[in-house]
Amino acid sequence: MIAVSASGLTRTFQGGGQALERFTFEVPRGEVHGLLGPNGAGKTTLCRILSTVLLPTGGSASVLGRDVVRDAAHVRRSVGVVFGGDRGVYGRLTARQNLNFWAALHGLSGRALRERVAVLLERTGLTGRADERVDHFSRGMKQRLHLARGLVADPPVLILDEPTAGMDPIAAHEFRDLVAQLRDDGRTVLLTTHDTAEAEAVCDRVTLMRRGAVLATGSPSSVAGLVTSQDRISASGVPAAVVAELVARPEVVVLDGSGGDRVELETSGDTTGEVLHLLVDAGVTRLVRGRPSLEEAYLRLLRRQGMAVDR
Amino acid sequence: MRVLLASLRLQLQLALRSAEVLQACLMAPLLAVVFLSVASLGGDAGLVAFAPSAIVAPALMALWTSALFTAGQSITEDRALGVFESVVASPAPLPVVLLGRMCAVTAVGLIAFASSWLTSGLVFGHWVVVEHPLVLPVALVATGLATATTAGLLAPLFLLTPSARTVQNTLTYPFYLLGGVLVPVTDLPEWLRPLGRAVFLSWSADLLRDTLLPAPPADPWARLGVVLALGGVASLIGTTLLLRVLHVVRSSGSLSHT
Repeated sequence: MIAVSASGLTRTFQGGGQALERFTFEVPRGEVHGLLGPNGAGKTTLCRILSTVLLPTGGSASVLGRDVVRDAAHVRRSVGVVFGGDRGVYGRLTARQNLNFWAALHGLSGRALRERVAVLLERTGLTGRADERVDHFSRGMKQRLHLARGLVADPPVLILDEPTAGMDPIAAHEFRDLVAQLRDDGRTVLLTTHDTAEAEAVCDRVTLMRRGAVLATGSPSSVAGLVTSQDRISASGVPAAVVAELVARPEVVVLDGSGGDRVELETSGDTTGEVLHLLVDAGVTRLVRGRPSLEEAYLRLLRRQGMAVDR
Repeated sequence: MRVLLASLRLQLQLALRSAEVLQACLMAPLLAVVFLSVASLGGDAGLVAFAPSAIVAPALMALWTSALFTAGQSITEDRALGVFESVVASPAPLPVVLLGRMCAVTAVGLIAFASSWLTSGLVFGHWVVVEHPLVLPVALVATGLATATTAGLLAPLFLLTPSARTVQNTLTYPFYLLGGVLVPVTDLPEWLRPLGRAVFLSWSADLLRDTLLPAPPADPWARLGVVLALGGVASLIGTTLLLRVLHVVRSSGSLSHT
């Protein structure tokens, strides 16, 4: 079943700015889907439309089969939204008071509300600070409170707009674990991020966006495969004669062979095995074989289209 | 109802951590000192005659000021905090959330009335007797609710115009005059009286003053009904306007603008 879909979705702002242009995609239920793209690519606009706070100027979008314009009330009941940054909570209140308010807005009350808030505080590691003013929280703690707020209604679909922006590496790592838990719960997660490593780590599929349109979509490895189908071999401590031999082979693409005893190559098929044999036989022990990363694909695809930064 | 109560609780929690309550608590007794000082120029007789007005006027002024402040700031601050989009994205109806927050100003009215009354007794030694203790609290609550819905009428304006302060400032003294807060509507020029009677405050002010006078107030429940009816009309108009303006800002993409 499709959890989130958009068909020809278009959003034009006053003054002619085009944030989304006939954007079409589908996210199956239970998938963690990443939206990647430079600033101005339309990621946040898409999140706002899906969370019903912005109306599209063309096309359509739906969440769990409900149209985000015609059936906004239903969509709001099934979507949890976390807009990025450290804003979005009442700093003068405590974490528990914030969550109590949001839980009530989502229809919880009494014991069910108290239990839900306690569970979320525990899950996001805020139980010990639950009765402190949010003003005194670090950015990472505020982000965790945002996430708790997004989960307060136990929604089947969660929209996270740059949830790790500004988080320290440890908090970001913990966040990835949390997203993995959400997937295990069977939730659908739509995640916008600039961090390709994060997308590669937590997303089942990603969509690369550029100027409001889809540039590529698929699993992180398949998107990475769009820029090259070849294997990548990096090695150091390579004897000069072996470097020369590799450089001379026409079926080997040398990405970097000017660093003395270090080489970086692209090969494919049987040649990969031959090159690896050659390096091992020459006594090279420091070598890595892999595929291009999502980050490399992201950068290459954007560069093919021109400048990497939009509007 | 739970959304209304949660919003009311939120506003009270926020107000307790801001200068809002302090301002209301200080404004009413300070104004009472001014009015009672003027009254005392006429000797004891002047003080006795004018004290009910000198207690009611500061309470209503503090209530209305606080209501205007809350109507403007609740949206403006929510936008600045990045909270407003999440409120709109929740299943709770925005008019109910705002009404709940506005209803919190009723508490300010009660505090302001009590502090004005205490000022008369403690500072001027004149303890005004609440002659009709059954009507007074009901009238105060009804006035608080009508104030909440009437000031809430302005919320759509604050959505369209983020700079709410100018609007707030221009809607204080005209309302005090038309609402019979400073002087009863019957003392206004004849051509202004019908306009004054369309403002719920004029009914509230008269009734509250009457609760401090020995004579039984005439038709108190009917007058309370008028206060609530005018508040209800304001609520209906405010809700309709708010939903319309919400659609406009969702269309224009200016929902989160500050």
